[in-house]
Amino acid sequence: MSVIFAILIAAALLGLNAWLYVANKNTPVPEGCENLKPDCNGCGITDCTLRRKQEEH
Amino acid sequence: MNLLTIFLSAFLINNVILAKFIGMCPFMGVSTKLSSAIGMGIAVIFVIFGASVLSWALYYYALVPLGLEYMKLICFILLIAAFVQFVEMFIKKNSPSLYKSLGIYLPLITTNCAVLYVALDNITQKYNLIETIVNSIAVPAGFMLVLVIFATIRERLTASDVPEAWQGNPIALVVAAIMAIAFSAFAGLV
Repeated sequence: MSVIFAILIAAALLGLNAWLYVANKNTPVPEGCENLKPDCNGCGITDCTLRRKQEEH
Repeated sequence: MNLLTIFLSAFLINNVILAKFIGMCPFMGVSTKLSSAIGMGIAVIFVIFGASVLSWALYYYALVPLGLEYMKLICFILLIAAFVQFVEMFIKKNSPSLYKSLGIYLPLITTNCAVLYVALDNITQKYNLIETIVNSIAVPAGFMLVLVIFATIRERLTASDVPEAWQGNPIALVVAAIMAIAFSAFAGLV
């Protein structure tokens, strides 16, 4: 029974995460904030979304 | 445990950056300008406080009654990621001005291990809700304090005559080490 609860909790959190991710992506960015650039450097995380944005610019 | 002791310990003595070496990525990455450091600091306080209290509630009201304490790590990671998404979406919808100043730092916080550290630390230390709230404010406040001090020093460093080999991150790490030594003096406070 404990295993079923574990799976349910993990699935619920994963579902919540996926739903909020999609909802956040679909929420329009406020006017004037479309081209905000992070003032961030010195970090080695290569798969960071902000780093990719910086490289695109 | 005395709440003041918890606060001072988390804020100064066991500072998350200078004593635990956690959250080094934003510490190095977002400390080149004072304005960025303040924005990041406020966002970190908000996210760590919310995520830690939610994690505490999830642990004691769901995981412990069901005997699933071993799930805390994966649950906290997912909860923190979901909370950051929610906060970003909420700010986007309701406060464009706040989004303009803080929104850009919110995705960065997902990768800030200090958030997970505080959530796990509250459980490891067996804090009650009030102690959890105090600790969850003190740790990110200590993070912001160090980040802001470090940013002001780095701004001055840009105008300093630093040898070429030491420019950028090397001299910043030396400054961080000196700050860590200075902060270790707070150990006698409590």
